[in-house]
Amino acid sequence: MRTEYPVPLAPFGQQLHTYKDCTMAKIGVFICHCGENIGAKVDCTKLAAAMGEHPGVAVAVDYKYFCSDPGQESVKKAIRENNLTGVVIAACSPRMHEATFRKACAEAGLNPYMCEIANIREQCSWVHTDPEMATEKAADITRSMVEKVKRNNKLKSIEVPVTRRALVIGGGIAGIQAALDIANAGQEVVLVEREPTLGGHMAQLSETFPTLDCSQCIMTPRMVEAAQHPKIRLLTYAEVVGVDGYIGNFHVKVKMKARYVDTESCTGCGDCITKCPNKKNSSEFDCGLGKRTAIYTPFAQSVPNKPIIDKANCTYFKNGKCKVCQKVCELNSINFEMQDEFIDLEVGAIVVATGFQVQDNSVYGEYGYGKYKDVINGLQFERLASASGPTFGKILRPSDGKEPETVVFIQCAGSRDPSKGVRYCSKICCMYTAKHAMLYAHKVHGGKSNIFYMDIRAAGKGYDEFTRRAIEDDEASYLRGRVSKVWEENGKLMVRGVDTLLGKPVVIAADMVVLATAMVPQPDAKDFAKVVGIGYDEYGFFNEAHLKLRPVESSTAGIFLAGACQSPKDIPDSVAQASASASKVLALFSKEKLEREPVVATNNETTCAGCWGCVLACPYNAIEKKDILDRSGKVIKRVASVNPGLCQGCGTCVSFCRSNSLDLAGFTEQQIFAEVMGL
Amino acid sequence: MTIQEQYKTRVRELLSSGTVKMVIGYKAGTTADRRRPLFIRTPEEADQLLLDSACIANLSGYLIAEGLLSDEKRVGIFLKPDGIRTINILAAEAQLNIEQIIVLGFDITGQEVTALQGETAGDFSALIESIKEGAPEALKNPLIDQLEQLNPKERFAYWQAEFSRCIKCYACRQACPMCYCRRCIVDCNQPQWVNTSSHTLGNFEWNIVRAFHLSGRCVGCGNCDRACPVNIPLRLINARMAQEVLGSFDHLAGMSDTQEPVLASFKKDDSETFIL
Ligand SMILES: Cc1cc2nc3c(=O)[nH]c(=O)nc-3n(C[C@H](O)[C@H](O)[C@H](O)COP(=O)(O)OP(=O)(O)OC[C@H]3O[C@@H](n4cnc5c(N)ncnc54)[C@H](O)[C@@H]3O)c2cc1C
Ligand code: SF4
Ligand code: SF4
Ligand code: SF4
Ligand code: SF4
Repeated sequence: MRTEYPVPLAPFGQQLHTYKDCTMAKIGVFICHCGENIGAKVDCTKLAAAMGEHPGVAVAVDYKYFCSDPGQESVKKAIRENNLTGVVIAACSPRMHEATFRKACAEAGLNPYMCEIANIREQCSWVHTDPEMATEKAADITRSMVEKVKRNNKLKSIEVPVTRRALVIGGGIAGIQAALDIANAGQEVVLVEREPTLGGHMAQLSETFPTLDCSQCIMTPRMVEAAQHPKIRLLTYAEVVGVDGYIGNFHVKVKMKARYVDTESCTGCGDCITKCPNKKNSSEFDCGLGKRTAIYTPFAQSVPNKPIIDKANCTYFKNGKCKVCQKVCELNSINFEMQDEFIDLEVGAIVVATGFQVQDNSVYGEYGYGKYKDVINGLQFERLASASGPTFGKILRPSDGKEPETVVFIQCAGSRDPSKGVRYCSKICCMYTAKHAMLYAHKVHGGKSNIFYMDIRAAGKGYDEFTRRAIEDDEASYLRGRVSKVWEENGKLMVRGVDTLLGKPVVIAADMVVLATAMVPQPDAKDFAKVVGIGYDEYGFFNEAHLKLRPVESSTAGIFLAGACQSPKDIPDSVAQASASASKVLALFSKEKLEREPVVATNNETTCAGCWGCVLACPYNAIEKKDILDRSGKVIKRVASVNPGLCQGCGTCVSFCRSNSLDLAGFTEQQIFAEVMGL
Repeated sequence: MTIQEQYKTRVRELLSSGTVKMVIGYKAGTTADRRRPLFIRTPEEADQLLLDSACIANLSGYLIAEGLLSDEKRVGIFLKPDGIRTINILAAEAQLNIEQIIVLGFDITGQEVTALQGETAGDFSALIESIKEGAPEALKNPLIDQLEQLNPKERFAYWQAEFSRCIKCYACRQACPMCYCRRCIVDCNQPQWVNTSSHTLGNFEWNIVRAFHLSGRCVGCGNCDRACPVNIPLRLINARMAQEVLGSFDHLAGMSDTQEPVLASFKKDDSETFIL
């Protein structure tokens, strides 16, 4: 089914399919040295002289930095004085300064789309060594753009309305922060979380570095605030299954998974949970260290505090008998017939904050994770140390419930290990291991902690001081080196490693081993990225538009990133990025209409054969079937018709169309042909 | 009764009952081994019908002649399996409404003509399925294998020599039922993507464009190959592209009237061997 899309406000009357006369062209060519970047390889003066000779070129000059203020002024002046019909800036990549120079042209009265960039930096001076040949190539590139710009059309930007409602996907600290910031600025937010409760990983943590404040104490009020905010619509146990549309106008489909509990009538009294006879299910929230019933809330402070039935483990769903919860529920809230439901949302911007997972440690067979009960990962240690955890905050061995007298922590269990784990540094493990050693020292008096590490990476406000405190005040013993093997002997976990500072192998008899597991992307991150339409890196962390200059925007306009879904992050970084994303969303919502580049496809209805290949090929569903009627209203022909509001100008349809009926504004066949022939 | 007589009776019935307004079949051609299309509008005209092993041309292109099907009346047509696949493609590409077509199916093995059971294109899906199964074998051609053994330079020289005879008459295009565009890319002259002159560049431009436009669509009926006045072995190019599409995307042209065009659709598990 197709949804109706708003039709762009500006009329789209470009005449692309007619022949463009370019005999009257007066083109200005501006060759930038980019300091030494271009000037050192390309002889810009010689290039300017050569371009001056090219037919249709009225001015050709070179200058040190055209992007500078005087540089831009000189372009404007040349446009006015020579009545230029087009401009070519031979400089860096159009990704860098196309917008800058188009704006300058517009200020001088020239249609901004009559300005083109010839990239003689990334595609020439930076990649060649021979100055003479580089100059020749620069001339080819520039000439080809001159030929193109002669055939450019005076395009008009497209205006599209903005739906002022944001979607935030993921209800961890990053998602909650982004949602609250946007909502507090008065805009509507839909917050979608796929687990039954908000909170993400932060809700599982005990105390947090570098201040050691209790995670739940700072997290749960946030969760409640988000749930009760009048501008936030909270959808938990829900998943985004489809996104289409474009910046300002996204159409989103959300699947509300069946909870089997009616959240409207349920008051969260918990009678069902107490009475459920099926009590031996491993608790996901406690990382398998605790048990829960089949009808459950992940933890006591869940938001919303309404249970769900774990269908896979519920006795009724398995055997057709039980329904104890239904019998005890006085409000009749339990409904075994409940089905998944789908909700359609219209939003103008999306913040992706889907977080991370900890790596599965069973890849390290030599550390015995999964084999020995007392080899646990960092997140499990958090649950042991947490007052709301399975041991109520006592550090006890999972195997026998005894207090461990010696604990070995192994850092970089997965991180910085290209052979078995991941190549990157997870950034938080040095810090949380120091925290774990401190918590252990505070909770188990006389406990001895040994930490195997590669480096201590503690850059951040108060971070190095924090690790020093672990060493100096809490007597954590740091051993620089890797662990090669962990095995069990006489009820002890024997840890064999090497202390590289002493240059000696060491064996430590421990009661518990904690692996500082790598932070990895969500297992479904790549598929999810395809649903939302954003890019991801080799691991599955989502890609930002520019690592340095646009770190919170995805490469898709209108979709922003927050938190650990983009790269490993701690809480302060996640929150900062979430607030940054929120401010991007608010900037987008500050306007009623958006201007879009008019690089869109148009169809020649006379020649279109109506084969619908393009309709199928278009990745943005931007092409519709249109009836051409005669005077009596009879359909004489059906042709393809591009909706310019949806078209992203990718050109897929243009290359598909066998009858050559489609053409792309800004990159017309005539332009491209001239560009190629100009080489 | 011979199969030809059976089908004559069938055609007369179809016309006199008003089931179809026309039947497209074959009649005698200029020489003994050639056949011409026959457009039968009345039961009497069926007398001229011929059906024998010389009836090899794929007639389906006539179905999309301007206006023939626009009155929504039915038309009968004699089709071999390649013809049935053709109308599936034409239907999938919205060029005709498959419900309007009554198929008079037949097949030729050696000198023998056999009738195929069925009336609408959909009735032949099991047959087409079996064609797909046999396709890897059927598409094999010793000459293709020989050409594959050559290095790119030698292969280029082979085709350069073959194409050098091309006079750009576009008979191959006219004969192909899949070449239905009102304006072909070669007719564009602003800009002129495909050079009209009969030199190496123009010849390659045309024949490569043709190969691409027909990849995943050509059913191998041979109309183009027979139409070429200078005997360029077009069937080799078509068959090679068909092998490629079958191997890479498990796609055989014309399986059904809802088949998605292979170059306009994608599946998540498509092989990406062409991405370096
Ligand atoms: C052992 C350990 C100890 C740590 N200790 C500290 C500490 O002391 N101090 C500190 O600053 N940081 C600490 N951290 C880091 C901290 O946990 C993260 O920085 C923080 O949780 C990142 O928040 P987030 O919202 O980006 O991701 P998450 O907390 O992972 O939240 C993501 C949320 O998105 C949801 N989600 C995922 N996919 C989807 C989807 N497709 N649709 C809808 N919802 C989805 C998830 O269910 C989850 O609720 C620690 C981490 C670990 C592993
Ligand atoms: S691909 Fe070309 S011919 Fe086919 S429907 Fe689209 S525009 Fe028309
Ligand atoms: S250029 Fe064509 S394929 Fe690309 S988005 Fe626009 S209409 Fe769709
Ligand atoms: S390209 Fe030739 S063999 Fe293929 S369908 Fe067209 S006419 Fe038949
Ligand atoms: S039919 Fe033969 S000669 Fe004519 S255009 Fe086609 S390949 Fe060339």
